[in-house]
Amino acid sequence: MKKILYLAVAALLFASCNDFLATENLTQKNSENFPVNETDATQMITAIYATMNIAIQKGVNKTYFYIAQVASDDCYGGGGENDKDAQASDHLMYYGESLFADFWSARYQGINRANMALANLQNVADETIRNQKTGEALFLRAYFYFELTQMFENVPLISAAPENVSQAQIAPTQMPADSIYAHIASDLKKAVEIMPAYKWNEVTSGTATRWAAEALLARVYLFYTGFYQKDALPLTDGSKLTKDFVITGLNDCIANSGHSLAPDFRSLWPYTNTATMKNSKYQEGAPKWLKDGENPEQVFALKFSYMSAWVGDKLGFSNQYALYFGIRDQSTNYGLDGTYPIGQGWGQGPVAANLWNDWKTDEPDDIRREASIYQVKDNFQYGRDAQMEETGLWQSKIVATRAIVGTTDYPSFCSSSEYYGDGTSTGHFQVSHAQDLNLIRFADVLLMHSELTGTADGMNKVRARVGLPAIAYSLDALKKERRHELAFEGLRWGDMRRWHEAETDLAKQVGQEIWNKGQKTTMKDQGAGYVARYKATRGFFPIPKTEIDLSNGALKQNAGWDESANFSSWNN
Amino acid sequence: MKNIMLFLMALVMSCHVMAQQNRITGTVTDKKDGLGMPGVNVLVKGTTSGTITDMNGNFSLNFSGKDAVLVVSCVGYKSVELRVKGDQKSVNVVIEENSELLDEVVVVGYGVQKKKLVTGATVQVSGNDLQKLSTTSALTALQSQTPGVNITQSSGQPGDGFKVTVRGLGTIGSSSPLYVIDGVAGGSIDNLNPSDIESIDVLKDAASAAIYGARAANGVILVTTKQGKSGKVTVSYDGYYGSQYAYKMPDLLTAKEYMAVQDMINFNEGNPGNNWSALLPSALKQSIEDGTWNGTNWMKESYNKAAPVQNHAINLTGGGEASKFSLGFSYASQEGIFGKPVESNYGRYTARVNSDHVLLKVRDFDAIKIGETLNYSYSTKSGVSTGNIYSNSIHSLLTANPLMPLYDENGDYYDYYAKQRNGWNYDASAANPIANTALSSQGLNLSKSHNLQASAYVQIQPIKNLIFKSQFGYKMSANTYRSYDRIKKLSSTNETTTESVSQNAGLGASWTLDNTLAYKFTLNEHTFDMMVGQSAERWGLGDNVSASGKNTLFLGSWKNAYVDNTKPTALDQITAGSSPWGEGTLASFFGRVNYDYKEKYMASFTLRADGSSNFAKGHQWGYFPSVSAGWVVSSEPFMESTKNWMDFLKVRGSWGQNGNCNISGYQYLTTFAFDVTNGYYFGKDKSSQTTGGYANILKNPDVTWETSEQLDLGFDARFFDTRLGVAFDWYKKTTKDWLVVAPILSTYGLNAPYINGGDVENQGFELALNWNDKIGKDFNYGVNLNISKNKNKVTRIANSEGIIHGDANVLSQGTDEMYRAQVGMPIGYFYGYKTDGIFQNYDQIAEYKAAGKGVLAGAQPGDVIFTDYNKDGVIDDNDRTMIGDPHPDYTLGLGINLSYKGFDLNIAASGSFGQQIAKSYRSFADTKTQNFTTDIFGAWTGEGTSNKLPRLTSGSHTNWQKISDIYIEDGDYLKIQNVTIGYDFKKLFTKLPLQQARLFITAQNLYTFTGYSGMDPEIGYGYDKSWVSGIDLGFYPSPRTFLVGVNLKF
Repeated sequence: MKKILYLAVAALLFASCNDFLATENLTQKNSENFPVNETDATQMITAIYATMNIAIQKGVNKTYFYIAQVASDDCYGGGGENDKDAQASDHLMYYGESLFADFWSARYQGINRANMALANLQNVADETIRNQKTGEALFLRAYFYFELTQMFENVPLISAAPENVSQAQIAPTQMPADSIYAHIASDLKKAVEIMPAYKWNEVTSGTATRWAAEALLARVYLFYTGFYQKDALPLTDGSKLTKDFVITGLNDCIANSGHSLAPDFRSLWPYTNTATMKNSKYQEGAPKWLKDGENPEQVFALKFSYMSAWVGDKLGFSNQYALYFGIRDQSTNYGLDGTYPIGQGWGQGPVAANLWNDWKTDEPDDIRREASIYQVKDNFQYGRDAQMEETGLWQSKIVATRAIVGTTDYPSFCSSSEYYGDGTSTGHFQVSHAQDLNLIRFADVLLMHSELTGTADGMNKVRARVGLPAIAYSLDALKKERRHELAFEGLRWGDMRRWHEAETDLAKQVGQEIWNKGQKTTMKDQGAGYVARYKATRGFFPIPKTEIDLSNGALKQNAGWDESANFSSWNN
Repeated sequence: MKNIMLFLMALVMSCHVMAQQNRITGTVTDKKDGLGMPGVNVLVKGTTSGTITDMNGNFSLNFSGKDAVLVVSCVGYKSVELRVKGDQKSVNVVIEENSELLDEVVVVGYGVQKKKLVTGATVQVSGNDLQKLSTTSALTALQSQTPGVNITQSSGQPGDGFKVTVRGLGTIGSSSPLYVIDGVAGGSIDNLNPSDIESIDVLKDAASAAIYGARAANGVILVTTKQGKSGKVTVSYDGYYGSQYAYKMPDLLTAKEYMAVQDMINFNEGNPGNNWSALLPSALKQSIEDGTWNGTNWMKESYNKAAPVQNHAINLTGGGEASKFSLGFSYASQEGIFGKPVESNYGRYTARVNSDHVLLKVRDFDAIKIGETLNYSYSTKSGVSTGNIYSNSIHSLLTANPLMPLYDENGDYYDYYAKQRNGWNYDASAANPIANTALSSQGLNLSKSHNLQASAYVQIQPIKNLIFKSQFGYKMSANTYRSYDRIKKLSSTNETTTESVSQNAGLGASWTLDNTLAYKFTLNEHTFDMMVGQSAERWGLGDNVSASGKNTLFLGSWKNAYVDNTKPTALDQITAGSSPWGEGTLASFFGRVNYDYKEKYMASFTLRADGSSNFAKGHQWGYFPSVSAGWVVSSEPFMESTKNWMDFLKVRGSWGQNGNCNISGYQYLTTFAFDVTNGYYFGKDKSSQTTGGYANILKNPDVTWETSEQLDLGFDARFFDTRLGVAFDWYKKTTKDWLVVAPILSTYGLNAPYINGGDVENQGFELALNWNDKIGKDFNYGVNLNISKNKNKVTRIANSEGIIHGDANVLSQGTDEMYRAQVGMPIGYFYGYKTDGIFQNYDQIAEYKAAGKGVLAGAQPGDVIFTDYNKDGVIDDNDRTMIGDPHPDYTLGLGINLSYKGFDLNIAASGSFGQQIAKSYRSFADTKTQNFTTDIFGAWTGEGTSNKLPRLTSGSHTNWQKISDIYIEDGDYLKIQNVTIGYDFKKLFTKLPLQQARLFITAQNLYTFTGYSGMDPEIGYGYDKSWVSGIDLGFYPSPRTFLVGVNLKF
């Protein structure tokens, strides 16, 4: 009897169990309550930008921007003897079959966030704001796909976020480059059409604008039509996007954006800051660094912050390129007489001597050579901390820039009390680089305009700024101008590929003087050699093996990336 | 209060007595030693009148009527019944220890059961057997005593935990068994002093554990704390004090040796030797060269020799018929043997109050009974970091170069500025490892934690053997943590420019309500013992807060390192965070029927239904059945012929399913996160962030229970007058639908969620033997030996490659993944190249090539011969395979005890066999300048010099960069864990007013039989993964301890 009663009680308890088992998530929003309003939509857009910092956090040596330095004929891999991936990438080889997995994943993370945001932007009531936000998401998605396809060519095309796990377990197939370029061009075309015409300084710096979309479209057009030797970009609806549309966009950008060239070329780089200048050889004419957000030449940039830290997940807030490209191991006794104002870093991307020498021949009066490349002094001790592929030449654009304020030696100007008036911290050389990374500069817009229109106007504006005389337009002159103006800014690699000059230019690196761990030698071909490697790969890099393995055969490795491309090392 | 109750009871009894006529006095003595036995129950059969013997074993008792039967009973002794006549005035009773162990009762889930009738696979360890090993943690003491339970230290640092797996690793998720303390599930055994424990019962097979269905997939460990006993109050004190020493110090290179090895590396690569005169300060170089200084041995500098360990416990037990209590208080502390001047330190205080009260007694049973248990502990811990190669204090002691002094000329730490002053030009990134630990949160940290585990029950027995029990369990914990990073500049890369303080605190609770109804009855010798129950549990009722600040006002002062003492600046703001604990609930219904016929045929059925809030509606409920049966063969008539040598034989078998729902909640929803990493710094201001929101996991609405299914066959037997006991079990455990975060294509741009994604199988056997006998009157001895074998294999992983990858950069920066979980292999096996020795000369290389075997480009004599495993003529990633298995094939426990008069001797040993260890005491593949152990003298230096270690090269060489079996060693070991010699002075001075006065000396970790070259072969560390172990990067070793102690009982 009692048992029956008890069972009855149990049955009642069972009925109320469903309430007992319902718990509420107090710290996370979920698909049931997010996104519902304009703030939510804006937060979703912000998180797309954040994936660019995430790629930095995972290691800039895996990013397209870095590859575009070391794989090009401007720089070698360098680094210490264990930075074999840097040396491998320079020789178009691999060290670690999944090196680029983090970059791949960060870019697709961005794409997925853009997909989700685009599906939810109807929550933004104001049409102008909605168009601006939609344009930003489209721009970023296009930017990410453009980097992916330049690096891996036929990548999967995801244009809507998966709904649940089962959908995400189906491996997406690789799409031909034409489909990807059609997607990129359609996104950018729409962005150009809908984004409001705010002047560059009317929006918060870092935000993608209509001008950025127009400039990126021109960059995409030039690469696609050049590399694939086509005359127009495809669009997803089957129609074509013509050169005229691109030129119209550039004209709009030049006329209406408010962007202009900075008066002094050197003002673009942090070594002309107030604290560094006093002890630097760059002070002639007293150029003054145009701080981030005050630079009219910056069309689109990746933003960084001072709030970075080595541990945890804030590393991506510091400009790690500046660290990677800094001079290796400025240890105890090297001090100021050594390499000031180039700061301490990891010694990657040493500048190839052929660039330094050719430049002198091609344009002897160009102040940009010494304003872009730092040459070490005679007493410099090579081979610090097992530096490899050292040339004594370091780029001074995207690099750690030390500063002396009073008696304090800051590892980066961006951590100094000059930059942060009330700051007391001296910062740490590995995390204190807060300067923006310019991804699209107005000088590039002018040069692309010249190239697309075959006119010298834009090119000569760029030359005039550095005191060089006006010249007539020729493609050859334009190519040199781009190489000099835009050195180390992530563009050379794309340029040499689209002009189909990569094989000849890469070959020039062989035989140049280098030091390995302080021992003088010359650069040599590794594996099959620069020329054969470029032929085999057409400049595309390997799809991460982790992704191939997980795709159950849906993803195919790019040509030229078999075991023979495995870089062992200089000394095994 | 209790005393008043006892007094009242006594009053009632004595009133009752007045009416009686007969009075009898007597003495109860122990057959073993003939001494009086205190605390023995003496009851007049069929009545409620009874008493308890006093300290000398005397009693007096009244009874009515002509004669009576006295029942004399005591736990652990055979009960004696004897008839006394009405005119008899005195009686002497001799009672004997219960060697018929099978009459023992063991704890099973929600109840107890006669050991004889148990049909599952369980093992019981008494509190005494734990306590006599004199350890601060009960788990250390369990190591040698529980076959099938693998207990491995995660680190030998005081207060650090253990990896406990019951019958093999069943998951890569949470694999810890469920601890049930005094009937309340989910407690922590670390909060108990071994002296608090009455017994530990491990439920190993699925059928035994099934009653805890939901969380029993990894086995269940039932801990019963000391309960009250009726009788005179006994007070005991157990204490010891000891000193700890390093068992084995690694042989590190001296300064001179180091310089020679570094030069040789240069020569081998065709480079000139180091120009030491330019690299080292001249005085330093001079002192090394003339032999006045051998360089710094960092391990020795950090060694905290004779580190003290102590433990003190006071226990009180007593009570009467109606109320019983047990109180315990303890203090334990242990210093670590490494980490000086910030050596590890652990301290723990515990208090326990347990009591039971019979409120209403009807005839011969307790109708209403209530009781409670309360265990409180407070512990403090500070330690050095013991993680991966980047933050492991021991690793940095091993790798730091010996050329650097510990202190500079002023007695301060030798740092960057000292190097600059002295003209140090060697390895600018080398940082003083002791200073690094002593000036950072690696060594400056302190955690404090308060834990309360309590329960209260009411038990109602309306008719005999129908028992309703309702138990409420409550667990509360509060903890704080504080750490401090001081300003330092130790090298060009090791620099802290502002001080920072971090603090966090958490406070929370969980509760459980269990209601059970049990009924036991016998019908024609068919006994049914039935139970149904219901349970509800809610956890995660708590909050965390954390804060950190920079720029302290008390520069360099650890004791003042609080966030309040930091001064915010525009850039260095105080940061704070807070979050609720992840709340969750579990609702359950369960039932069990135990049946036996004449205690000869037994069967048991269990069913449990569990609902978990971790899953979506429709997937919340899991059902876990089990069945088991046993047959006492020796009770059969046809076994009469074997009676003279076999006393008992029971065969048994069981099958059952258990569950695991231990994942983070809300996996069935797509959740959005707004963390700092996913914000963006728009604009000119580089310090204020715009918040970003993103979907951090993709929903998996189908995620549900993981199931562990197990078949167990075994027997228990006793031979030769029960002197020899044998227990054997064979089992096969299959964990299905693993809850696992299996990697998904990152192309979808989302984090992988939990899926029910894999199966794993564990199969093995356990054999326990014990022999107990005496020689002559006084010499007793016993030997316990247990052996377990387990084989672990993953049988399914639900992604296309069937692999869950491990981490890269484990042994050195720049090395590939070295462990993984993969179908067909043991979980967490070591993955890399097999090797075939060292190339001795160019002819041999040519022979390999001629034979079509792969050889790496540029291979030269002295290089490792990597095996072309897939025989495709090239050495590449596809040649990687299993190079080691961290799981032991066999584990062994051994206990020997001898006693002669007042002397006793105990020896305990435990061992593991068949497992491998991946050892790397330096980053071979990375930094050239790190120090070596003297093993490096065995490196190849020319033909025939070595076939094991390759020639010396700088870090970037493939010899070390490719993970291969040159890193792998066999980890077989047998540790003599404990040798104790004791003497009870009560035997010598029988007049002592004590029941026991034992003095003992103990040596712990006295000797380890092993071929392993590292400091300690018992390596639970696995790159901070629960499913990986056996990775030795400089493991904090367990100490060798010598201690002296006393056991006093009043």
